[in-house]
Formats: sequence, C-alpha cells, structure tokens
Amino acid sequence: MLALETIDINCAESLFKISDKLNLKQVLPNKVTIWKLRNNNPMRRSFNRVSISFVEFDALLKLTSEMSKYLYPFIREILQSREDFNNNPYAWNNFRDRYIELMKERLNINTMKVKRLLDSRFNDEIFTTILLSLALSISDEGLKRLRLTLLNS
Amino acid sequence: MLQNNILFNQSSVKLEIIGLPDYSNNESKDNISIISQWKLTIINQPLIEGNLDHLKSFIEAFYTYTNYLLNTENPKYQSKLIDIKQENHLIHDVILKSTKPNVKPLNLKIGNSCLADIINCFDQLGSSEKVKIIYSKDFSFLFKKQNKSLFHKANISNVLLPPLISLFSIFIISSGLVYFYDATNEQDTSILNSENSFISIKTL
Repeated sequence: MLALETIDINCAESLFKISDKLNLKQVLPNKVTIWKLRNNNPMRRSFNRVSISFVEFDALLKLTSEMSKYLYPFIREILQSREDFNNNPYAWNNFRDRYIELMKERLNINTMKVKRLLDSRFNDEIFTTILLSLALSISDEGLKRLRLTLLNS
Repeated sequence: MLQNNILFNQSSVKLEIIGLPDYSNNESKDNISIISQWKLTIINQPLIEGNLDHLKSFIEAFYTYTNYLLNTENPKYQSKLIDIKQENHLIHDVILKSTKPNVKPLNLKIGNSCLADIINCFDQLGSSEKVKIIYSKDFSFLFKKQNKSLFHKANISNVLLPPLISLFSIFIISSGLVYFYDATNEQDTSILNSENSFISIKTL
C-alpha cells in the first residue's frame, strides 16, 4: 500500500472512497480504521499490534487490487521505465526517490528489514517485484493471485 | 457461416478470440463457445496464433510461470510447447516451440510490463461472459494456497536446525567449563560447613 501511496499522493482519501464503492463500509467504516489496520505492519514506526481478522485482511486486499486497477497505467509506466532505464529513467527515478522518502518517514529505519529496503544494492529488485505484484492484481483472478502470494509469504 | 471475433486489450497486448457460439445450448449469437483460432499481438514482437490446445498450453504456461515468479526465487516453466525462464529481474525469456517439423523455436524477450499486460489479457478472457472459458476448472489449482508440508526438505531444516544448534552449543560450552571446575575444593568447603554446623549445634 505504501507503493500505491508513492504513486498517488492522495491515496488515503482514494482508499476510503474505494472502500465505499466496494461496499466495505461495515469492515472499514472510516479512515482511522484503515490507518489502524495498516499500522499492523511490524516494520512501521507506529506499529500497533492489533489482531487482524480475515475479513479485514481481505478488505485491505480488495482495496489494494482496486487501487492498482486505477493506477495501472502509472505502475506500467514505472515498470517500463526500469526496463528501458537508459532512455527513460525519469518515472523510475521519481518513484524510487519518493518511495524511499516515504519509507524513511513511515517505517522504523532501525530494523534490518527496513535497512535492506533502503539499501540501493538490494531495493531495485524488491521494488520491481512489489510493482509487478500490484500490476498483476488488477482483476478478480489477480486478487486471488495477490491473496495467494501474501498467504504463502 | 460467419465467425465471431472478440478482442481483449491491455496496453501493449491484444488478444483476439475467433470462434462460434454453441447454438445447441441456445446461446446468444454474440458468444463464443467453440474457439477455432486465437491471435496474440504484442507490440514489437511477432504475431502468435494457434488453436484451442495451443491457447490452453499458452495460458497454463504463463499462469504457472507468474505463480512461480511471485512465490519462488528461481521461476522456470518448461513444457512440450513453451519454456519460460527469468533472464534477470526485468526480462523474461519465452521460447515457443512449434509442433510442425523443421520450424525453429521462436524466442521472445518480454519485460515485466509486457508480462503484466499478457496476464491481464488472459484474466479478462477468464472473466468474460462472452467467451465460454476453457481454463476456469483446469487452472484453478494455481489459485489455491500451497500447503507448506512439514516434511519438505527446507522446512525440516528450518524447524530442526535452530534447536539442534542451540543444544550443541550448550553442550560445547558446558563441557568446556567442566575443565575449570574444581570439584575437590567444593567438597572441602562442604565438609567445613558441616563441621561448623555441628559446632553451632553443640554451642546451643
């Protein structure tokens, strides 16, 4: 979701609107609920251990999938920019810089996982995989693919 | 008889399905139930076409490979018709082997963006109501959670190695400490202590 937020600056608002559109109001009634669920990530600076139910997990996945659908042209452009970096580095560089900036702001930079994410020797491949996972999650089958990937990881 | 033609587009990829509706099932004349031909057009790549069996193999190859790509470290798919492997984290090497004799295999190098387009085209085909899709049952296993068996080689090592290493290190450290432990000294002091206790009892 942080990658989506990197692409769409107004992501928090968009996620809330999408939750309304997807009839997820019962599970995600307001922005605070979404924020609390997102804070369940142990890498976050504001990590808050709250037991997350499968319905809430699934609602977050649906939001991610739907948001990726809207942002697909941008995600694709960034991936293409990385493939053709010598001729078109702008989109990739822009994404990478903003993503790192957001990670430094939101994540606990003292943990090894986050240090690895910020390390330019490793993060190139990780960022590409994250974007590819988002690009492959824009359909119903894609949602299943995303769920499977997260459950198997 | 005129054949129906249904298109699925996703950025750089166009999938064209050509076929006929199944009139015996009272299907709408716009639907396709009998696929006679398909064409996959990818920008800057040669046209790929074939029959229903080729389409099934193609979809299975790409779905399985994508599944491996997202869930394993070294994704690779090999079959009679298609081989796909990762050249690096940006490029995928696809080899299409023809069923006709004396036809050289076709080698395609596709990027992540193009791979995503192809998969999304197949997803559109899968969710289309106009095409009676061929793979919903065949490939459903790809979307099921993989059972992580405890008896898998990697899992066994992950489960058993840490406690074994810790037990072994405790054994090594404690056996090393045995050499520094002076047992006789301890015995003497215990005797002294017992004597002292006798004295204290006598004084009482």
